[in-house]
Amino acid sequence: MATSARRPHRRRRALWPYLYALPALGAMAFAFGFPLVQVVRDSFYAGNFSSPIWVGLDNYRGVLSDPAFRQSIFNNMKLLLAVPIMLALGLAIALVLNDRIRGGRHYQSVVFLPYVLPATAIGIAFSFLLQENGVLNRSLRKAHLGGLAYDWLGNSHLAIVSVGGLVIWQQLGFAVVVFTAALLALPPETAEAARIDGAGWWQLQLRVLVPQIRPIIELLTVIQVITVISWVFNYVYVLTAGGPGFSSSVMELYIWRSFSSGADGTAASVAVMLLGMASVLIGLSLWVRRQAVAT
Amino acid sequence: MKRVLVSLGAALVLGSALFAATAASKTAKSVADDPNNASLTYWYWAESDAPGANAWLKKEVALYEKSHPKVKVSVVIQSTDTLTSAFTTAAQTKSGPDIATQWATLPTLTPAWGGATVPISDYVPKSEWKNWISTSENMWEGKLWAMPQYLIGIPFVWNKPLFKKAGLNPNVAPKTWAQFLADAKKLKAAGITPFGMGNQDGYGGAWFFSLIGKQNLNSITELKQAMIGGQDFANPKFSGFYQALVDLQKKGYLNSDVASISFGQGFELFGQKKVAMSWGTDGNVAQWESQLGAKNMGVAAIPLWGHGKLATSYDVTQSSDAFITKWSKHPRAAAQFLMFLHKPQALKAWYKATGVFPADKRFPSSSVTDPIAKQLLKLDQSPVSVWPENFVPPQVDQNADLAGGELITSGSASPAKVVKLWKTQLSQWKSQHPDEFNSYKKWVTTG
Repeated sequence: MATSARRPHRRRRALWPYLYALPALGAMAFAFGFPLVQVVRDSFYAGNFSSPIWVGLDNYRGVLSDPAFRQSIFNNMKLLLAVPIMLALGLAIALVLNDRIRGGRHYQSVVFLPYVLPATAIGIAFSFLLQENGVLNRSLRKAHLGGLAYDWLGNSHLAIVSVGGLVIWQQLGFAVVVFTAALLALPPETAEAARIDGAGWWQLQLRVLVPQIRPIIELLTVIQVITVISWVFNYVYVLTAGGPGFSSSVMELYIWRSFSSGADGTAASVAVMLLGMASVLIGLSLWVRRQAVAT
Repeated sequence: MKRVLVSLGAALVLGSALFAATAASKTAKSVADDPNNASLTYWYWAESDAPGANAWLKKEVALYEKSHPKVKVSVVIQSTDTLTSAFTTAAQTKSGPDIATQWATLPTLTPAWGGATVPISDYVPKSEWKNWISTSENMWEGKLWAMPQYLIGIPFVWNKPLFKKAGLNPNVAPKTWAQFLADAKKLKAAGITPFGMGNQDGYGGAWFFSLIGKQNLNSITELKQAMIGGQDFANPKFSGFYQALVDLQKKGYLNSDVASISFGQGFELFGQKKVAMSWGTDGNVAQWESQLGAKNMGVAAIPLWGHGKLATSYDVTQSSDAFITKWSKHPRAAAQFLMFLHKPQALKAWYKATGVFPADKRFPSSSVTDPIAKQLLKLDQSPVSVWPENFVPPQVDQNADLAGGELITSGSASPAKVVKLWKTQLSQWKSQHPDEFNSYKKWVTTG
């Protein structure tokens, strides 16, 4: 009898945590769920927000047949190449700095500095640096290396390479700091033991230290892949504005261009695709991590 | 539990009541559109066309606020590359400025078609706006949708000492395209860059379209027809100018960094004596005159390239304009302030600050004493004037006109490919903006 009387009371108590969580859940639904549903809905309409016209999948068809969109998505893929370069460079610098070289902290600050600078300021500075008659090319010509002086921003093949270079330059500092922190957190005994066992410098780095920070490398890889897929707008906008033509455009810029010209449905359909791509990548990386942990 | 739920419900009801009361009071306040008691936000752009414009507006606002102590005008300077996009975003959300700036004709009429603006002629008496020049650029359904502030003519300019250095007559401008090419050849042979412009942002190419491309057309209606598919843009009549641009670049008659410097940086080349010829706005000319000296430069109409009736038209437009937004709570106050900018004092101050002619018949031509400015005024008063870019839908302008020119000057696409881009973009505009396309079609047929 006493047990059955307590049951409703227990049920009520079990509901309390949900009630407490309700405001947070509501805020999250409002902040994430509502825009998400709205964007998916908008992707099936043409015209502007005030007078939308139902077009079904036409926005998706239109986008997929647009050479500018294909170029944008291809450029995002090209920028992915920046990730292994950045990580390899970051890791190499972090390993050297970890060796307690003289002035290590000073070098670390220098490498990290670009990361704290605003992307717009960097973009403007680099646009002056990389112009056909900019500082870089003038220096190359003065050094009798005029053959290397290309139109880094005005050449449709090189513009996206310049953007990639800028992304590497700025994000490198972050990679160095993360790797350095991970290396400093390692227990010194393992490295000491390896040294006593006669491991050389390369063996120590590649066989002992790097494997120990593998989860950090994987995490940073995921972060940088997501950055390159969906966080490069400001670099592209300030440095090349996607030009010449659409040769250095990326998906984010394509979304912005569509939205700014009032093609909201088109912008929404690309946003949905971008979200899908980012979700697949995140899922893939989580699966890879799980596999790695399992083995 | 019950007590908690009752308390929550009561709080919700009280909160809603408070919110409703606040909103109601705000609405009541907004209903009163007192022209002498308002806070106005003005999204302004003109400096790029007319250096000195921002400083002029700041002074005029100070004068206006002094004479209308209960009016506050907040000026937000707009950037060239986001002028259209920023207002498009504002129009989507129906919030933002009370007064905004756009380039004339389509960038102004498109938001009007979308219901984001109100006709300025509903708030300004005809006795006032009949004095404004170039109002025809912004007429739709018999109403005027924006106020012109100034006139922008685009003259051809040349550097006399550099012409002399190349063995050319420094006092004679090339009148035809053949003469232009011949002069360019001699200048290049003398080690001088013949023609200067910047096109990293696409505006250099867009100007080439408006200044050279229009010259094979007999009327602007032909271009409008090409926009709605009534005529084929692939016809050299519309797109043949791209080959002229390709030829200029291949022959080395353009500055080598044309593809990597911005439109604005391209203007600087002439003032820095780095190029012998260029084109620019009346405002640019005023600035170059102060840099080079009047005796060292000449101004003329753009050399003749095409054979259409528009070939001899001059390129004058109000360029940018000012209009009142639909969501403004103070349209009368906004209109009154805009009329103030056309008072004789404001017009004179404008000309003094910028060297650009005001778009107002009341501006006395006797105020123009500078010899080059007199020439510019004469050119600006040419009987036929048109700026074709104003008639290209903004989306097509951005994604085909600007992008196409960039592809040409970067050497990454042939004219045929750029024509294909135009056709793709025109088709996309039709499918992505069915409402805008229909309004445009109606505008082409009924005006």
